[in-house]
Amino acid sequence: MKTVFINGSPKKKFSASAYFISVQKFFVKGEKVKETLRNKKDHDRILSILEDGDAVVFCLPLYVDSVPSHVMSFLKEMEVYCLDKHLNLNVYVISNNGFIEGVQSKALLQVFRNFCTRSGLVWGGGIGIGGGVMLNVMRIVFYVQIGLLFLNIFLSGTQTGNWLPIDAFTNFITQALIIGFLNLGVFLYTLKMGRAINRRESCGEKYTRILIPSFVFIIFADIFFTVFSIFEGGFFRGWLSKK
Amino acid sequence: MKVIVHDLGTEYDEMLQKKCDAVICADGKYAPCQGCFGCWTKHPAECRLKDSLHTVCRVIGRADELIIISANYYGSYSPVIKNVLDRSIGSSTPFSTYRGKQMHHTLRYGKHDLLKVFTYGDITEEEKATFELLAARNALNDGYRESQVFILKSLNELEGMLS
Repeated sequence: MKTVFINGSPKKKFSASAYFISVQKFFVKGEKVKETLRNKKDHDRILSILEDGDAVVFCLPLYVDSVPSHVMSFLKEMEVYCLDKHLNLNVYVISNNGFIEGVQSKALLQVFRNFCTRSGLVWGGGIGIGGGVMLNVMRIVFYVQIGLLFLNIFLSGTQTGNWLPIDAFTNFITQALIIGFLNLGVFLYTLKMGRAINRRESCGEKYTRILIPSFVFIIFADIFFTVFSIFEGGFFRGWLSKK
Repeated sequence: MKVIVHDLGTEYDEMLQKKCDAVICADGKYAPCQGCFGCWTKHPAECRLKDSLHTVCRVIGRADELIIISANYYGSYSPVIKNVLDRSIGSSTPFSTYRGKQMHHTLRYGKHDLLKVFTYGDITEEEKATFELLAARNALNDGYRESQVFILKSLNELEGMLS
């Protein structure tokens, strides 16, 4: 059983799609291949890898309510390739968006379903994830927390001789539990999709989100973009004005 | 202002220019969106990629009526049209609000009137339904009062339908 994970994010590093692939991979058995689809140069390489695959998992961001343009170019080539080679892949999709409602990916999942019909492939279903950007930021925060934990252990051990600082461990576990809770919907649906992939079944089209109230999410998103825009300089260049 | 975005080739520009105030020919001679958010956070309403779509969001953002003419790709826009739309998100701002009981970005140029989508090429019933859903989603996302989808059996029908 060979499953090919295709990261459809144009970002070179720290993409939310890469994070969701790492979570989904955890629940999938057999040979797992990870590929990045960023431009036309990637097409031939990915298509050749699909030839002996059993399942393909597209993990991509939602752009303007649908598939990003560079992924759409690839789908058209993949359709021709799959029909020519008579491939019988199961296709699964994880779509993430920066808004909080996962259901905003509904049209994108339908596009992939239609693509499967045209290409003679099996539509395995998909997950629409809301708050993908923030969940990805939380992932990075988690890495920072791990770093801080080791720093605290080192400082405590070298300065006081205590190599098991309880406060540092308690703080880390609390932070990890909060981040885990925010991801609970993602963990549940990727677990279900993983089982479907392993059994070559369909898991339907499901929607989930970061587990916080939307008004809180909007406040955090506005703060995030304000801080980001101050650092990037756009805040001082007619940030919200008509240009 | 009425704006037309199309993927029919430059030979259609002359006819389309008579029907609107601005024509954007999606010829594919530009790069895809890189997802950097720079058009929100670094140079507002301006893409960091210096090609023909560098400030396209300023034209699309000012449209009262936006007409999109696109080949059908699985119930969605062709890659060259989608590329233009992906590079146009600077027509909104990074701030968020509720619209249609969902989270969306606030609009840099205010609300719009009508989004019309004309699609051509072989299309299935499922793809028609997807296109209607997609146009309705675009209309909500970009603050249009209404969306309409027209399925063209032949491109010869187009000129008569663009009154």
